[in-house]
Amino acid sequence: MKKIEAIIKPFKLEEVKDALQDVGIQGMTVSEVKGFGRQKGHTEIYRGSEYTVDFLPKIKLEIVVDAGKVAEAVSAIINAAKTGKIGDGKIFVSNVDEAIRIRTEERGPGAL
Amino acid sequence: MKKFTINRFLVKLHDPRERTFFLALFGGKMLGLLACFVIVFGLPALLTSMTGKAHAQTASATSNTVAKALDAATNAIAGAAAAAPAADATPPNPPYVNPLNTMWVLVTAFLVFFMQAGFMFLEAGFARTRETVNVLLEGIVDTCLCGVLFWAFGFAWMFGSGNGFIGNQYYFLQGIPDTYGSTGVATLAYFLFQFAFADTCSTITSGAMLGRTGFWGDLWYSIGVSGFLYPIFGHWAWGPDGWLNNIKPAAFHDFAGSTVVHTIGGMIALAGAIVLGPRLGRRFKRDGGGPMPGHNMTIAAVGAVILWFGWYGFNPGSTLSAMDMQGIARVAANTTLAACSGGLASLFFVYPRSRKWDCGMTLNGLLAGLVAITCPCYWVSPGGSLIIGAVAGVFVVVATDVLEYLRIDDPCGAFPVHGVCGIWGTLSLGLFATGEFGAPTPTGADTSADALVKGLLYGGGTDQLVAQVIGNGAIGIGVFIVAMALMYAVKATGTLRISKEGELEGLDLHEHGAGAYPEQVTSSI
Repeated sequence: MKKIEAIIKPFKLEEVKDALQDVGIQGMTVSEVKGFGRQKGHTEIYRGSEYTVDFLPKIKLEIVVDAGKVAEAVSAIINAAKTGKIGDGKIFVSNVDEAIRIRTEERGPGAL
Repeated sequence: MKKFTINRFLVKLHDPRERTFFLALFGGKMLGLLACFVIVFGLPALLTSMTGKAHAQTASATSNTVAKALDAATNAIAGAAAAAPAADATPPNPPYVNPLNTMWVLVTAFLVFFMQAGFMFLEAGFARTRETVNVLLEGIVDTCLCGVLFWAFGFAWMFGSGNGFIGNQYYFLQGIPDTYGSTGVATLAYFLFQFAFADTCSTITSGAMLGRTGFWGDLWYSIGVSGFLYPIFGHWAWGPDGWLNNIKPAAFHDFAGSTVVHTIGGMIALAGAIVLGPRLGRRFKRDGGGPMPGHNMTIAAVGAVILWFGWYGFNPGSTLSAMDMQGIARVAANTTLAACSGGLASLFFVYPRSRKWDCGMTLNGLLAGLVAITCPCYWVSPGGSLIIGAVAGVFVVVATDVLEYLRIDDPCGAFPVHGVCGIWGTLSLGLFATGEFGAPTPTGADTSADALVKGLLYGGGTDQLVAQVIGNGAIGIGVFIVAMALMYAVKATGTLRISKEGELEGLDLHEHGAGAYPEQVTSSI
C-alpha cells in the first residue's frame, strides 16, 4: 500500500477529485493548508499598496492506494492539476504499513 | 457613669495608637456625613435641569437677519404669532419649541449616532483578527464616555456663552433654555445631536491607533479628546460667541464640521499614530514592506456604506431646521455627489499602479468625499460638489502614500481621510461657494447681500478663502499641538502602548480575555 500526498492549487480540487474517481479511487482526505515553494509567496494589494503574502493557500489531498494503482493515480492527479504555471504543487508517495477499517476491523488492502 | 466614660476616653487618647484609631474613625464619620449632605443637596440640584430659563447669548454679526427670519418663522406657524421679536442686538428665543425642527434634529441625531456602527465596522474590518474585540469595545466605550463628559462640561464649553475661546454656561445641563439659540429646537435635542458629533470625532482617533494602544491609554486619551479638545476647539467655530465667527472681512464657515469634527479628529489621530509608533512587524514601503491587510473586507465595506448613510444625518441635519427644505435637499444631494465622485476618483487613481480595482481604497475615497463636502455642502452647487469630492478622492491616496513614506502607521487611514480631506473640504468653500446663499436660518438660507458666501472661483475674491485658511489653520494646528502634548502625557503614564508580549499575543486576548472569533483558528500565516 502506498500513500499519495498531493499539494495542489485550491481551484483544481474539483477536477482532481473527478479524475481520481474516474480511475477508481474510492476515498480521499482533503485539508486546507498554507505554504510556499521556490517562488516564495506573492504580493497582494491592500488600499493602494502591495504587501507580501509568504504562505499561499493550497489544498493537501491524501489518498492511500494499492501499490499497483499508484502510477495510474499519480498521472491522473498530474493531468488534472497541471496548469503549467508556477505554484502547481507537488506529489509525494510513501509506503504505508497497515490500513484498518474501524467498523469491521478488516486489515490490509481490503480495508482501503 | 457618664463622667467615668469621658474619663476613660480621655485617658485612652494619651495612647498614640488609640488616638490614631479615634481620628480615623472620626474622620470617616465626618466624610460620610459630608457625602450625605452632598447627596441630599447636591444631587437634586444636579439632576434638575431647566431650572433657569437663561437665553443663549448670540452676539454674532448676523443677529439682525436672524431676528428677521425669526419673524417670518413666527408668522408661518399659525397660532404662534405672539411677541414677534424686535431686531435688537441679542435675539430672544422663539416663543415656542418648534416641533418640526426638533423632530428633524432628533431624527438626524439618531442617524449620526448610527455612524458609530459604521465606524466600528470599518475599523474592525481594517484591523487584524487579533484586535477586533478591542476596536469594537473602543467604539462603544468612547460613546459612553463621550455622553457623560458632554453632559458634565463638554456641551457647556462648546455651546455655552463665555468668551471667544471657551464657553461657560450649562454645566451638567443646568439652566438650559427651552430652545437653543434662535433655532427653535428643544435644547436637549440639540444636545443629543451635538453629542453624536462629539462621539464621531472621538472615534475617528481610534482608527489610527488600533492594534497597539493599551485600554487604559485609550480611556485616558478619549477623556482628553471628547472632554477637552473637541469642545474647546469646537467652541472657536461653533460656539455662540466663538472668535472665528467674528473674523473680518468674512466670517469662518464650517457647515457640518469638516474642520470641527474631521480636522480635529484627524489631527488627533495623526498625533496618536506618531507618538505610538508603528505596530510591531509593520514594515514600510521604502523598507521593502507593505501594509498589514485588514481581516474582513465585508464588514469594512458595509461599515463605509453605513457611514455614508449616517452622513445624511450629519450634513442635512446641520440645517437644524426641517423648514429649510431647499437647504436640506441641496445638502443631501451635494453630500451624495461628493461621495460618488470621491469613490470613483480613488478607484481610478489607484488602478494604473496596480492594475487592480482596489476595494479598500475606494471605501476611503468615498469617505474622503463625504468628509470634504461636510463643510461646504450648504453653499456649493452639485457640480462643485462633484469636483470637491473627486479632489478629495485623489488627496486621500496621496496622503496615504505620504504617511507610508514618513513611516507613520495609520491602520485605517484616519488621517488621510479625516485630516487631509477635512482641511481640503474647509478650504474648498473659499473656492466653490456659489454666492447664492448665506448662513442657514430656521426658514432657509439667509440671502441678504452682506451675508452671502462667495468663493474665489465664483468671483467672490479671496475673503472667504482667507477666512477658511485662518479658521482651519488655527484649529488644526492648535489641536495638533495640544494632541501631541496629550499623547505624550498619556505615554508618560506608561499606559499608552501595550507591552510587546501583549501586542504579539493580540490585544483581544491580552486586554479582553477573548477573541472575536473563538471558534476559528486564527494565526498570522
